[in-house]
Amino acid sequence: MSSKNSLTFTRIGIYIILAIILIITIVPIWMLLVNATRSTTEIQNGIGIFPSSHMFENYNILVGKGLDLPRGFFNSLIIALSTTLVTVYFAFLTGYGIVAYQFKGKNIFFGAILVLILIPLQLSIIGYFRFMSKIGLADNYLSLILPSIAAPAAVFFAKQYLESIVIPDLIDAGRVDGCSELGIFHRIMMPIAMPGAFTLALFTFVASWNNFFNPYILISSRDKYTLPMLIQTLRGDVYRPEFGAIYFGLAASIVPIIIIYFLFSRFIVNGISMGAVKE
Amino acid sequence: MTISQRIKKINPGYFFITPFILGFLIFGLYPVVNTVYLSFTNTTLMTGHAKFIWFDNFKNLFIDKMFVTAVGNTWFLWLLNFIPQLGLALLLAAWFTNVRLKIRAAGTWRMLFYFPNLLMPATIAALFFSLFSYYGPMNQILVRSGVLSEAVDFIRNPAAMRSLVIFIQTWMWFGWTTIIIMAAMTSISVSIYEAALADGANGWQMFRYISLPLIKPVLVFVLVTSLVGGMQMFDIPYLLTDGRGSPTNSILTNNILMYMKFRSSQGHIGAASSVGVMVFIMTSVVALLIFYLLRDKDSAAKKQAENKG
Repeated sequence: MSSKNSLTFTRIGIYIILAIILIITIVPIWMLLVNATRSTTEIQNGIGIFPSSHMFENYNILVGKGLDLPRGFFNSLIIALSTTLVTVYFAFLTGYGIVAYQFKGKNIFFGAILVLILIPLQLSIIGYFRFMSKIGLADNYLSLILPSIAAPAAVFFAKQYLESIVIPDLIDAGRVDGCSELGIFHRIMMPIAMPGAFTLALFTFVASWNNFFNPYILISSRDKYTLPMLIQTLRGDVYRPEFGAIYFGLAASIVPIIIIYFLFSRFIVNGISMGAVKE
Repeated sequence: MTISQRIKKINPGYFFITPFILGFLIFGLYPVVNTVYLSFTNTTLMTGHAKFIWFDNFKNLFIDKMFVTAVGNTWFLWLLNFIPQLGLALLLAAWFTNVRLKIRAAGTWRMLFYFPNLLMPATIAALFFSLFSYYGPMNQILVRSGVLSEAVDFIRNPAAMRSLVIFIQTWMWFGWTTIIIMAAMTSISVSIYEAALADGANGWQMFRYISLPLIKPVLVFVLVTSLVGGMQMFDIPYLLTDGRGSPTNSILTNNILMYMKFRSSQGHIGAASSVGVMVFIMTSVVALLIFYLLRDKDSAAKKQAENKG
C-alpha cells in the first residue's frame, strides 16, 4: 500500500516537472505569435497572453519599411521545394542501388557515405563559394540546390528504409514483365517507398527552409534573399522602434513549419529515431 | 561485343550510384580540396593573383589570438549545452519508458519538447534578442515583479549572452536527444526489465545497469553528431548580438570567425579557409578519439547483455 502511495507521489512530481519544461518550451514561441498581433504600444505597455487585433497593421508597417516579406517567402519556398525534390529522388536512387544490387565495392561505398555524413560544412563552403563564383553560379539558386544530388545523410536514411521494404520477388516479377531496371525503381519501388520518401521530404524541406549559413555565403542580391536572410536584417536600425512589425516578420517565418509539424509530427518523430537506432 | 552489349553486362547497381558519385566529386570533394588549397594561399576576393604562402595563414591564426578565443568559446558553449541536454534527455527518456511509472501521453510530451528544434534558428535568435533587449519583456517582468530594481542591459553583458546561447542551444536540442535515446531504450527487450523487477531492482538500478550500458552505441552517436554540429555553431551566436561575437568576443565561435574573415573588407578567403581546415582537423581528432575510447567497452556491454538475455 505504502509503495503504491510513494509511486503516486513520484508520478505527480514527474508530471509537475514535465509541465514546467513544457511551459519553458512553449512560452517563448507563444509570446512571439501573440506579439505579432499586438501593436508596438501594447507590447511596450506590458506582456500579453492573448492575441490582439493589429496583425495587418504590423504587416503593413513591415512592408512599408521596405521589407519584402512575400518575396522572401516565395524565394525560400522555391529553394526548399527544389532541394527537397532533388534530395529525395537521388537519395532513394542511390539507396536503391545499394540495397537491390550486389556489386564490387558496395560496402566500401556505403562505408564512405557514413564518413561523409560527419564532414562539416566549414571544410567545403569557402572552396565551394570560390568554385561557384568562377563558373558563374554564385548568387544563383542552383548553387544551393545542386549539391543535394549527393546528400550522404539522406542516402543513409533511404538505404535504411529501403532495406525494410524491398521485396526481391517483386523486382524479379518486374523483370519478367519486361520492365527496365530504372523502370522497376520508378514504377514498382518508389510507390511502395512513398511513406519513407515523404518523411525524408519533410526533414529536407524544414532544413532547407531554416538554412541561413549557405545562402548567406552564396546569395548576394537583395531580391534573391531567402527568409532567414530577411529576418537577419530585422535587427537593423530601420525597424528598431517597430516591435510589433518585427514580431510579425519573425512569426511569419515559423508559421509554415508549425503547421507542417502539427499535421505530420508522427512522421517526423518516427523519422528521427529511424535514422539513429538501426545500426 | 558492341558497346550496348558491354553496357548491359555492367552491374546496374553502378548506374544507380553514379549520379551520387558524380555529384559528390563535383559539389563535395572538389570544394573540400579547393578549401584546403586556398588555406595555403593569400587569396582575397579583390585580387586575382594569389601567392602560395604555405602555413602563414595557420601561423597567423595563432598569433592574433582571435582563433584561440573562438575555439575556446565554441568548446565552452558546446560542452555547457551538451551536458544538461544529455542529462535532461536521459531523465525524460527513462521516465517515459519506465514500465512502473506509466507516464500518460508520453508521445505528446515528446512531440512538444521536440518542437523548438524545427524552428528557424535565425528567428529564434532574433526572438531572444527582442525578449532580452533593454526595453524587452524580460526586463519588464523582472523589474515589475521586483526581482531587479532597474533594467539590465543583457545584450552588453558577456555572462548573460553566453548563458543565453547555452540556454537556447539546450532548449532547441534536448527534445531531439530525448527522442533518439527513447528509441534506443524501447528497443531493449521488456523481459530484461521484468526479470530485474522480479529480482527487486529499483528504478535507478534498472537505469544504471540495464538501460545505460545497452544504449551506449546510441549515446556515442548523439555525442559525435552533437560535437560535429556544435563545432559549427553559427546562427544563434551570430544573430543574437552584432554578428561579431560581442560583447567582448564572448560568443565568438569558429564559424563566426571564419565568416568575419570571409566578409572582411578585403575578403580574406585564404585565411577563412584555414579556419575551416583547422576546425575540421580538431573535430576529426576528437571524434576519432571518442570512437576509439568507447569502442571496446561497447562490444563488452553487448556481449554481457546477450549472455543475460
